[in-house]
Amino acid sequence: MGAKMSDPIQDIRDLHALVVHPRDRSADELLQQVNRIGCNFEHMWPMPKNLPEKFDLIFVDVTDQTAQRLTSFINSNEKPPTTIAIIGYENPSVLDLIFEIGAHSVLMKPVRAAGVLSSMLMARRFHQEQLRFEKELKKVRSKLENVQKVNDAKFILMRHRGITEREAYDLIRKQAMTKRSTTTEIAQSIINAESILSNMGDV
Amino acid sequence: MKSWKVGLLFSEIGVTSIIERSQLHGALLAIDRINASGGVRGRPVEPVRYEPESVTQRYGELAEKMIVEDKINVIFGCYTSSSRKEVLPVVERRNALFFYPTLYEGFEYSPNVIYGGACPNQNSVPLANYLMKAYGNRFYFVGSDYIYPRESNRVMRNILRQGGGEVLGEAYFDLEAKGADFASVIDDIMEKKPDVVFATVVGQSCIEFVKAYHAAGGNGRLCPIASLTMNEGEIDAIGPEASAGHITAAPYFRSINSPANRRFLKSYEEKFGSTVDVTSCCEAAYSQVHMFAKALDETGELETECLREALLGASFDAPQGQIKIDPDNNHTYLQSRIAKVDETGEFVVESKVRRAIKPDPYLVFPAIHDWSFRTLKVAASGRENE
Repeated sequence: MGAKMSDPIQDIRDLHALVVHPRDRSADELLQQVNRIGCNFEHMWPMPKNLPEKFDLIFVDVTDQTAQRLTSFINSNEKPPTTIAIIGYENPSVLDLIFEIGAHSVLMKPVRAAGVLSSMLMARRFHQEQLRFEKELKKVRSKLENVQKVNDAKFILMRHRGITEREAYDLIRKQAMTKRSTTTEIAQSIINAESILSNMGDV
Repeated sequence: MKSWKVGLLFSEIGVTSIIERSQLHGALLAIDRINASGGVRGRPVEPVRYEPESVTQRYGELAEKMIVEDKINVIFGCYTSSSRKEVLPVVERRNALFFYPTLYEGFEYSPNVIYGGACPNQNSVPLANYLMKAYGNRFYFVGSDYIYPRESNRVMRNILRQGGGEVLGEAYFDLEAKGADFASVIDDIMEKKPDVVFATVVGQSCIEFVKAYHAAGGNGRLCPIASLTMNEGEIDAIGPEASAGHITAAPYFRSINSPANRRFLKSYEEKFGSTVDVTSCCEAAYSQVHMFAKALDETGELETECLREALLGASFDAPQGQIKIDPDNNHTYLQSRIAKVDETGEFVVESKVRRAIKPDPYLVFPAIHDWSFRTLKVAASGRENE
């Protein structure tokens, strides 16, 4: 495994949690349980327009809210928080809504103390993995693009010089070394040059 | 005259009967004392007892029976976490009030439960600190195979790591384990020579383990067995020779020399003839019944919401000292003491924390250097004077 993932269980007391829920019995149960678990926490209601930056995890009551409003609230922060949706109904339109806002976990009303910790940890882990996968996907994508570029450049060289693939690659690498550049950059230059040259031919 | 009926769910038969009988006695003694002084609002408290025979599922079934058939709303009971987990859904569904007078692994909160025993921050952390200072930091873990020992060892391993220590071995045994079953692990202990054996074997198997350790040449004065569950009851059954030198951390020990404890022991002896089986869990049951009675005196009814309101934040001058129910989490502020068994088989308190520790049932990683867990050496006489 690559970068060490932080341990959601170990880090639980470092979290800043926000409860966005009308102040009723469910909210009280939830706030008390978050307090027992030992996180830093605050309560806000009604849902503010923007999410203050310090919160890593939010519990949000999605009842009578639109996906658009919820999404704009959650994404108002540069680093979107781990999101736990609190739902009153388990019907398909509510479930659709929690998918749409990208919730990482769900709590059912009335909220009970048991289950809150598991839900927070599942959400935390799911969110962290999601972020890690996104990061890795980005890395793999750019790697793939680079490989594609070097391949294209290799074929250009093979065509122009009548050399083998291996020789073409060695050429690119040698160039990269002498120019203190990367194989991708050299490949990009070759592709650019080729396109200019072929365009000239057209004229 | 109508009585206040309460349910008692402790086993006098089976693997955890030693400790549960001691809890039952604690509860019965408290009820006696309450009734002797006129009951609650002039009405006596009437215990209704069933025998779960140390069989996990029976606890849930009998709790249901108490609530449905006997119309009981307040139950005291359970030793193992697995039996508590059976009772929990029943009392929640029926909205009854359940008093659990036992140390456990934490990570639970139910509005229907009042937790009277220590959680790890109240006993494991002070114990680990003490052991590392007094004996060294190479530990060997031996436990019964259920949730409490495993979680308890997780906490211990973590504190140990913070103190630069190591776990040389870890083994779990069936609750029914006999002396011979421990042979190979005791061989391993003898070979690896840890500084401390941390044992979370409970009930009858604890007795079997300590005896087998002694028989194999294990010496408590050199490498003690340290435990959170080895109480006066077990020590009595093990005998002084095999148990000398071993260590236990608990909120209460029989040898505490305070007026409240002397009164408690005196009345215990009058009722049961001897105090050999008085343990911290017995004291917890005794104190919880008293706290319930005080709350009932205030509310005048057995309804769960009312009683809970009266109980949260309530304090009591228990045999161990002042205790208080934490309104944040329904657990109890408790004293924390560490005691060593002397050559007569009595626990001698070696050190204690200055004041009752706030329960923190959701503490994942206790910090070894937390000042609130620091214990103070008790005067050389060994007996506490308060």
